[in-house]
Amino acid sequence: MQTAAATTETGSPITFRLDRGSGVPTYLQLVHQVEHALRLGYLGPGDRLPRVKDVVASLVINPNTVLKAYRELETKGLTVGKPGQGTFIHPSVRPVALPELTDLRRTLVDWLTTAERVGLDEDGVVALFASVMREHLERPDGPHIGEDGTRTGAEDVA
Amino acid sequence: MPTLTVPLSAAPRPLPPIPWRRMAWVTWRQHRVAMGAASAVLGGLALYLWLTGRQTHHAWAVVSACHPASSSICTRSRNDFNTSYVPNAVAAVVMMQLAPALVGAFTGAPILGREFETGTFRYVWTQGMGRRRWALGKLVPLALALGAMAGACSALFSWYYQPFFSDSFQTPLAPVLFGLRGVAFTAWTLAAFSTGAFAGALLRRVVPAVVATLVTYAGLTLAAGLYLRQHYLAPVVSRSLDLPGAAWIIGQWYTKNGHLAFNGVQKSAVNADRLQHFCPSAPPTEALGHCLALHGYTQWTSFQPAGRFWPFQWIEGGWLLVLSTLLFAGTLWLIRRRAA
Amino acid sequence: MNVIESHGLGKCYRGTWALRECSVAIPSDHVVALVGPNGSGKSTLLNLVVGLAAPTVGTLAVLDGITPGSPEALDAIAFVAQDTPLYRNLSASETLRLAQSLNRHFDRISAEARLAELGIPLKWKAGKLSGGQQAQLALTLALARRPRLLVLDEPVARLDPLARSDFMATVLQAVSDDGVSVVLSSHVLTDLERVADYIILLRDGGVQLAGEVDALLDSHRVLTGPTVEAECYSDHPVIHAQSGRTQTHLLVRATATNPVPAGWETHRVGLEELTLAYLREPGASALPGPSRAVSSERPNEVRCPR
Repeated sequence: MQTAAATTETGSPITFRLDRGSGVPTYLQLVHQVEHALRLGYLGPGDRLPRVKDVVASLVINPNTVLKAYRELETKGLTVGKPGQGTFIHPSVRPVALPELTDLRRTLVDWLTTAERVGLDEDGVVALFASVMREHLERPDGPHIGEDGTRTGAEDVA
Repeated sequence: MPTLTVPLSAAPRPLPPIPWRRMAWVTWRQHRVAMGAASAVLGGLALYLWLTGRQTHHAWAVVSACHPASSSICTRSRNDFNTSYVPNAVAAVVMMQLAPALVGAFTGAPILGREFETGTFRYVWTQGMGRRRWALGKLVPLALALGAMAGACSALFSWYYQPFFSDSFQTPLAPVLFGLRGVAFTAWTLAAFSTGAFAGALLRRVVPAVVATLVTYAGLTLAAGLYLRQHYLAPVVSRSLDLPGAAWIIGQWYTKNGHLAFNGVQKSAVNADRLQHFCPSAPPTEALGHCLALHGYTQWTSFQPAGRFWPFQWIEGGWLLVLSTLLFAGTLWLIRRRAA
Repeated sequence: MNVIESHGLGKCYRGTWALRECSVAIPSDHVVALVGPNGSGKSTLLNLVVGLAAPTVGTLAVLDGITPGSPEALDAIAFVAQDTPLYRNLSASETLRLAQSLNRHFDRISAEARLAELGIPLKWKAGKLSGGQQAQLALTLALARRPRLLVLDEPVARLDPLARSDFMATVLQAVSDDGVSVVLSSHVLTDLERVADYIILLRDGGVQLAGEVDALLDSHRVLTGPTVEAECYSDHPVIHAQSGRTQTHLLVRATATNPVPAGWETHRVGLEELTLAYLREPGASALPGPSRAVSSERPNEVRCPR
């Protein structure tokens, strides 16, 4: 006695899941899952997000929640909605490709090994990384962080 | 935003009502068992009347052709006829008395009783048909069907009973027989049905409604037979000792010199022994009257002449029909005001 | 457009007020959850909306001014009552035929397709189906009428978790595809936040809480801090307090941007937590418009006026 499409939200590379106990609002969970999928390369420019009715059927949530999530993604510039066709990842979104991610991961492991050999403990590693990242983000020619925390400029998802 | 596939209605213009014929299949499907049982009962009864009636008529034709009527051969053949066919007649009368009550109660009570009992009224009264149309679409066709079957049965019964009227000189107004013939039988069946429907709407459960219907119907038939029917038209009062044949005698009392005799009680209550004291050798009641007359007593009889059969039929059918209409109206009223 | 609008609505039932002073304005295109303890008047309100009962006092209009129970209302509103009453000895296909006979609009083809999709055999008598199948059948009957408003009275109370999920998935898909507004009553609070976007909380026949779920959750926070300070906290109205010896959680009517006392933590409130807090505080109420506290001294056994 199974109802409609719980597994194949036809046409979209990804499907959503819901963490019911997390306390995070449902629409935010959907937004984060899209961002996460972009980060990891499961979604690319031009890919279609699952249709609202398919999400509603598989997660058993209010359609307005899905619409709210998709609106949020559109506001963030990550998606574009085409009436009658669906919601698609913005063509100019450039995700970090998987091979590059693997490289980054490898260099990070090397760096950590070096840090460990030098004698930097976990807290030291975290502090060093945080300060360097802050400097890097605040450099004059980098992406501009607005007062409300939103980022404008380069649309990389990194 | 999700697209609306249903057009918005702006001003509330009145919707055309859903046609009555839509109720035809609904009524048939939901009451086919009850109506099948009713048909079996009334149909079976009709079949019984037809088959035994033919035999009875045949036998009676033979008996009535026998001359002279007072000879021992004819008397014996007549007694044989009575022995063979009177029990059937009694059975037929009993079945005819029970049929309207059973058919009306078991068909009428579930119409609303079951809806309330199972809670399905919450479904069916929120459909587009609306509860009034739904109720009428059930009550009217079922009433008509039952009425038609009952009418056929009562016509058949009148034909069946003809020989017994000739045989025993019974009055057609006799309480046991009156309600089984003419229009009365149909009217009684409808009254039972409408009582059942009303009881179902009032009590909201099937079994109590059936019981209440049977009890009410029994009370009503007894009241009609014992009290009401006598007074449809003012009884004829006569001091004659020769009463019209097949009259329905309601009361008989005696006066002497202008005063009521025997404590003024009706004849049936007068102690037969006291009368025998006056007229020791007069067993038959007619002769008793003659005998008492010789002693100076005047016999008064109030009766309804047999010729009033059809006026009484219309009167009884009339008030039963009014009652049925009131009960149907009451049922509709209960449906309208019924809170969930 | 308001799908349900009432002013001072009251229903007297067997000498007591089952519903009183109910004034709500529920917008269309929402999934409205009607919650409250047993006996709080949920079924009464729903029965009034679908025309199975008539108000004792006050006014009630549905779908922008239509009288409940009128032919227009019966046409546009589909109701699935508690325990999904069906005719037990009619088969599924006969039930469809019944529904088709009794309604102006009935999409039999899509209904049969839906039942086939669900694996509900058309020839089986309705009484032989499982609880979940009966609920789905009742829902199919309702949705095939293409109503503008779907009213459900405790639809999932007796269903197992899978059947419950399937049922609600069907309802929500109808909301998404056809734009049906839904009003459903429930005394189970879990999972409601994902499904409903408007909530009405009834208590003892009166409305205690009403509004969009997002707005209500945005306007309440939980503040966690020392118990000694909690006792004299007065920055914002406190709905409910949960105190330990040293630590207290306060559920307050404040937004995320309101400043938090030094040393305190602030958390978002979930719908279940919010609803339970209001249920535990009979004197509190949150209604759209100027807030009006519901008196908690009104006894349950108020006699109805002659």
